[in-house]
Amino acid sequence: MIPVRSYFKLLVEYLRPLRLRVALLTVVLLVSIALQLVNPQIVKVFIDRATSGAASDTLIPLAIWFIVIAVAHQAFSVASTYLAEDLGWAATNEMRARLADHVLRLDMGFHKEHTPGELIERIDGDVTSLSNFFSAFTIRVIGNLVLLTGILVLLWVENVWVGLGLTTFSLIALAIMLRLQLVTVPWWKQVRATSAKLFGFVGEQLGGTEDIRANGGVPYMVYRFTAILREWLPEQVRGRMGFAVLWATGIWSYVIGTALVFWIGSVLFGNGAMTLGSVYLVFYYTGMTRQPMDQIRGQMEDFQKAGAGIARVEELFSRTSVLGVDGVRHLPVGALSVAFDDVEFAYDDAAGDERVLHGVSFELAPGRVLGVLGRSGSGKTTLARLLTRLYDPQSGAVLIGGVDAAHVATEELRKRVGMVTQDVQLFRAPVRDNLTFFETNGHGDAHLIEVLHRLGLEEWLATLPAGLDSQLESGGGGLSAGQAQLLAFTRIFLRDPGLVILDEASSRLDPMTETLIERAVDRLLDGRTGIIIAHRLATVNRADDILIMEDGRVVEFGERVTLAADPDSRLSTLLATGMEEVLA
Amino acid sequence: MTDRTTTRVPTWRLLRGLMRYAPWRYAANIALWATMWLMPVIPALITQAFFDRLQTEPGFNAATLIAMLVAYGFARLGVMVLGMWNDIHFAYRTSSLLRTNMLERVYEMPGAQAVHESPGEMISRFREDVEHVEEALAWTADLVGTLVFSIAAAWIMLSIDARMTLLVFAPLVVMVVTAERLGGRIRRYRTEAREATGQITGMLGEALGSVQSIKVAGAEKSTLVEFRRLNEVRRHKMVRDRVLTAMLESVFWNLLNIGVGLILVVGAGSLSDGSLTIGDFALFVYFLDFVTDTGYFVGMFVAKFKQAGVSLERMAAIIGDAPPEALVDRRQLHLTGPHPEPVPTTAGGEPLRHLEVRGLSFVYPGSNAGVRDIDLSVPAGSFTVITGRVGSGKTTLLRALLGLVSPDGGEVRWNGRVVTNPDDFFVPPRAAYVPQVPRLFSMPLRDNLLMGRHDDEDALYEAVRAAAFERDLDAMPHGLDTLVGPLGMRLSGGQVQRTATARMFVRRPDLLVIDDLSSALDVETERTLWERLFREHAGATALVVSHRRPALQRADRIVLLENGEIAAVGTFDELQASVTGFRELWTGEEPAAVP
Repeated sequence: MIPVRSYFKLLVEYLRPLRLRVALLTVVLLVSIALQLVNPQIVKVFIDRATSGAASDTLIPLAIWFIVIAVAHQAFSVASTYLAEDLGWAATNEMRARLADHVLRLDMGFHKEHTPGELIERIDGDVTSLSNFFSAFTIRVIGNLVLLTGILVLLWVENVWVGLGLTTFSLIALAIMLRLQLVTVPWWKQVRATSAKLFGFVGEQLGGTEDIRANGGVPYMVYRFTAILREWLPEQVRGRMGFAVLWATGIWSYVIGTALVFWIGSVLFGNGAMTLGSVYLVFYYTGMTRQPMDQIRGQMEDFQKAGAGIARVEELFSRTSVLGVDGVRHLPVGALSVAFDDVEFAYDDAAGDERVLHGVSFELAPGRVLGVLGRSGSGKTTLARLLTRLYDPQSGAVLIGGVDAAHVATEELRKRVGMVTQDVQLFRAPVRDNLTFFETNGHGDAHLIEVLHRLGLEEWLATLPAGLDSQLESGGGGLSAGQAQLLAFTRIFLRDPGLVILDEASSRLDPMTETLIERAVDRLLDGRTGIIIAHRLATVNRADDILIMEDGRVVEFGERVTLAADPDSRLSTLLATGMEEVLA
Repeated sequence: MTDRTTTRVPTWRLLRGLMRYAPWRYAANIALWATMWLMPVIPALITQAFFDRLQTEPGFNAATLIAMLVAYGFARLGVMVLGMWNDIHFAYRTSSLLRTNMLERVYEMPGAQAVHESPGEMISRFREDVEHVEEALAWTADLVGTLVFSIAAAWIMLSIDARMTLLVFAPLVVMVVTAERLGGRIRRYRTEAREATGQITGMLGEALGSVQSIKVAGAEKSTLVEFRRLNEVRRHKMVRDRVLTAMLESVFWNLLNIGVGLILVVGAGSLSDGSLTIGDFALFVYFLDFVTDTGYFVGMFVAKFKQAGVSLERMAAIIGDAPPEALVDRRQLHLTGPHPEPVPTTAGGEPLRHLEVRGLSFVYPGSNAGVRDIDLSVPAGSFTVITGRVGSGKTTLLRALLGLVSPDGGEVRWNGRVVTNPDDFFVPPRAAYVPQVPRLFSMPLRDNLLMGRHDDEDALYEAVRAAAFERDLDAMPHGLDTLVGPLGMRLSGGQVQRTATARMFVRRPDLLVIDDLSSALDVETERTLWERLFREHAGATALVVSHRRPALQRADRIVLLENGEIAAVGTFDELQASVTGFRELWTGEEPAAVP
């Protein structure tokens, strides 16, 4: 089904802020169309005068007028292209931005299902196919409909029978085109869906070329790539055949239109109702209907793509975050307390995923530092994800500063809760933007440099060719994992949060570098609440309290000193294991 | 980027390579589209006949002419459908060839350089750039067709009036010259518009790839501001590009109308005295329309051809050291018919007795980071640990050795023979590798482990056990069929690392190369993993980057790196006793045991 209503809604929504430019475009377009309609009239007069034996010096001025009007028409036509393109990109840029914003705010569950490559295709690829809809659609389709109407009106003026015949014909031809167009939209939708899959696959592969090659997996990956190509081929063929169907209507509208002119023309000229110039005018105008019809038909292909695009864009807009509505409450200033109250959590409850947290409860007073221990997969990282509200628990509550995390404005929550994750993600952008996430105000270079110094990155900063302006590579090439981690620390330092979560933050640092940032971490935790998720005991030495997780349950929670002193505690056992490891 | 972007690629030669890839389909394309172009001569003659007869015998019966028109309609329809069908099959094969060749070359590129461009920017080369080449190729058929038509039209018109024929063809020359003159500018505008798009997809790809970081940092707004800025840049470049194209088109249309005007001027006398009939006039105007199309097509072809050149350059820039011709290397694509199972890359030859590294150096371009002048000797069956501070070059050393970056100098010898092509050489069963941050792919765990191999369930499970991953696997309801999310995100960092380790073990390599195995593991898992590694490696040779005590204490030999150079080599006790830098490395972990 062609979503005419959605088209129209989109058009109005995104063009309203640009209405002045729309008005200008309309005027330019109308003038251009009027000029186009004048010229055949000149030809008619020319032929009638010529065949009635007029002197050629009365004919030459007509020919010159013809040329002047043709040139003027082109000038207006270029102007309208400029206006329409500009309008189209302005409108779709707005749509891209809104879509990107929407997608960035969707929950992590969504992002785990969709590769970046696929989302690029949907945010940029689909919307770009829509930009044709905004610019070309207004000019070509609407403009050509107006032109077509103008031609038909002039044909009525010329002769009622001609007007009637060609109007009926044009309406039927257009109706057939629009009807056939409906059939082919889903074909294109499928082509684009598989396209997203193909390029999503490519995108993912690019991140892991070393893994694939060094493990001899290249032929296998090429095999999988080919499998998608095989799936795409019949869809492409079908999509193209949809276009052939539309072209066929163009061919037949020409054949039937011309046949109609021959028939009516020969009859009306035969009984003297038309002059030879009039017949030629009708022939010329009918030929001119070919252009708008062709253009409209040609736009149908883009239209089909846009139709597929629009449906996919709407689908994306209609995805809501499982996190539900944003809260409005504020967090208290200063260090934030943390409390988990009987929290149950599964990543994808609807899909029947196993619970990763079972009745987790504990309380952490403001300003204290909690060390979280447990095997990997025991749910430690999940705690951090709930605290930063990347997910909401299925039941129970996560309280930060005494406020349910679900009731706090997410933006405020994430400003006040800082986290360093296992995997540091760097952008291909200057160091400055990597530290501030493109935030342009608030952080002077002096401040950035000071923080970098505090983290012991001054040596590294000095080796950069352009200081803070130096470009980092995508994925942090040329930067060791440890250095990347230190950059992540800097990001957090800059935000001055009330709760700091370090998720295996020091795991990739050698002990020497770790020592280097000990002081910095001390400073970061000073006056703040801290949660350190660690796999190694050394990292939790600074903790006031210890929480030990196992299979999504809290198996031990208490003051570190107390637990360490209790020979039956799990912490003591772990410490003993650690001792063994050292002694081995 | 490398110098490659500025090197001209032989556009014609590459396009010819693509034509030759499916020669029959290409030939059919030329034949069908030439026919398609030639066909409008028929209605032109019918129209001429109509007006001539109208002028000479008013009231004649047009039925015959109408019947001819209808027959023409059917013929054109048939040719068009065949042409479209053949064209898509041809275009799909050639674009798939480009994409597949490119993908394979990208795998072969040194890893650190493969991601030199952001993922989105790379994807745009697989997507738009291939489309541009495909378009230029399709237009070659139109070019031939349009020339054939022009010749036929010229012949017919010359037989009527030579002077007016010249008028009809004059615009053609003007158009080709205009297109040629504007070609450079079109190319430049198009390149810039393309680059602007690349920047957007690149930025978006990175933002989406690190969406968790952005969320956690509350940086959605600032990220969006940057996204909007890049979009505005592209708007200006795109509009400029499109308007130039529109102007070019407009010049062509203008010439058509000026041509009609000139025919009117020149024909005024002849029409008055009857030496030129209205039918002739109609024929000239009709042909003028198509001849202008010809000019337009020639002009646009020049533009498309140049665009294709830009795209081919961009594609050639990401295929590493391979020449641009590698883009069109012939290969069987298996797009239809049976799809043969892949055979994993394997290396034959003698088992490892001795691995030797001499003077190996690699420095990241534009920085001091890297390794210099590394000498290393690794006997078969030994366990060597490479250690050192952050940024001392541990990972780089492994990458340089495996050929994942192209070393600046030095050599690697396998059983005394120099390895000339390390990236092709160090594959299973000679060697397998677990990177520092391993990647998994959106497919079942089983496929992630096998990547095309055919090991049975027992072998898989054994590898999983060796990697201390069996408890995690048992906890997964779907076991080995568990689907791993994009980039393996559904697994924790430690799980990804152990999956990658299992992936290595499945391959039973002679040489195990592991980068920082335990960085995301808890104490117990780590201990189990080291124990199993030391047990499993029996027979194999292990080269491991680690600064973990259990690894260092059991190692046959420790290589201590400082600032990219080897500072010391020896056993744990030797280094502990004599090397200050080594002891220093430990001061940080000393209190580990004592709370």
